[in-house]
Amino acid sequence: MFKNLLQAFVLNARIRNATIGVIVLLVLSVVPFFNAPPPHVELAAEALLEQGPKWFTNGLLTTILVDLIIILMAVFAVSRMKEIPGAWQNIVEMLVEGMWNLTQSIAGHGSANSRKFFPWVITIFIFVLVSNYIGLLPGFGSIGIYHSGAESHAQAALDNQIAMAGAETVAVAAAAEEGKPVLVPLFRSPSADLNMTLALALISVFMTQFFGVQALGIRYFTKFFKNPFKDGMGAVVGFFELIAEISKIISFSFRLFGNIFAGEVVLLVMAFLVTFLLPSIFYGLELFIGFIQALVFMLLTLAFFTMATVSHDDHH
Amino acid sequence: MDALDKLGISWQLLLSQIVNFGLLMIILQQLLYKPVLNMLEQRRQRIAEGLEQADKASHAAAEAEAEKQAILEEARREAQEVRAQATRDAERIAQDVRSRADQEAQDIRMKAQADAEAQTAAVMADARKQIADLAIAATEQILGRELANKDEQERFVADYLAQQNGSGS
Repeated sequence: MFKNLLQAFVLNARIRNATIGVIVLLVLSVVPFFNAPPPHVELAAEALLEQGPKWFTNGLLTTILVDLIIILMAVFAVSRMKEIPGAWQNIVEMLVEGMWNLTQSIAGHGSANSRKFFPWVITIFIFVLVSNYIGLLPGFGSIGIYHSGAESHAQAALDNQIAMAGAETVAVAAAAEEGKPVLVPLFRSPSADLNMTLALALISVFMTQFFGVQALGIRYFTKFFKNPFKDGMGAVVGFFELIAEISKIISFSFRLFGNIFAGEVVLLVMAFLVTFLLPSIFYGLELFIGFIQALVFMLLTLAFFTMATVSHDDHH
Repeated sequence: MDALDKLGISWQLLLSQIVNFGLLMIILQQLLYKPVLNMLEQRRQRIAEGLEQADKASHAAAEAEAEKQAILEEARREAQEVRAQATRDAERIAQDVRSRADQEAQDIRMKAQADAEAQTAAVMADARKQIADLAIAATEQILGRELANKDEQERFVADYLAQQNGSGS
């Protein structure tokens, strides 16, 4: 058995080269020269300019970048639109058509609802997907501006307070506390910025209410508020419905933020532990998670939109 | 507010993200979704049209084929008829020609017969006349003189010959 493996190893050039490559990379990972610095973990998006406005964060800059990328991709696909599509037009058409069919399958085929919901949910999908993926590009988190220690002291202190739960993060924060200049990354995935995820969550929940009222009128709110004297049980259920509705904002925003932010932290930590090879495996995982999270955000929004437009009185 | 600050949430940034999303949606709606969905619809119609036309074309081809067959059949039938007609005509003409030739041959034969008879009759008449003349001449010689009533004599001989001829033949 072992002999066979050895023989295969010696004879098969590809297996041999791959194995040698893996060993070399793993050995190089231990060489101090290639060691990644301790990961710089920031829960909040940071202001890019030390003396500049506080609102100009790396998250905001990257959001604008994401917008530009999306619009450019759309322009490339649509500017020379042909009956017989080119490769890029084909991909974009496939995406739009796929989303359109998905929307229709949930909100009803050819229904007015589908047309109303479609721009919201597809924009959520595209925006979140590009945001998730842009954070995986090389240079994110590694290219940045050095800020002098004073400000980073405060930041690190904040980190310390928040990240009590994770031992590693604490260690990281402690390392940053030494007053050395701190690297502020130039880019930060918008999905790893709570402002973006919360904004999308607010939009999603608000539009759910909007579409509900549009479809059912004031009757929509009887889902939440019932006369406790006539329907005591209904009033309690309605109260819980209301809490569930509000908690959607939190679940939406923290699901996306948590997944992407944690994914980036995992990549940084893996790179810190073993410089080569190990992060590659997690990159694949992050690609998968980035797609799934975009799809989940979109599908949940679509499902909530659809549910809000259905009258609950019909069952009684 | 302190907790939100730690999470990096500020209402300005939040608002900027909301506005950003709204703008992006409007831009993409005009720039991407509408044209792409229109194009998809247009292509769907084109394909449906194309299929319909192909259907129609194959239908028309089948019809043309059937028509061709019908025409061929008709032509074949006509040719058959023409041939039959021609055969009949030819036969009729041949019949005509043959009957006419027969007729002519008949005529020629009749004419030849008539000529021959006429000639015979002429020869006979001539012969009779000569005989009569000879008989008169002989009689004159026997009598030694010229007959007075020559015309009467001749008529007499001719009557006799005719009588002979009538009973003799």
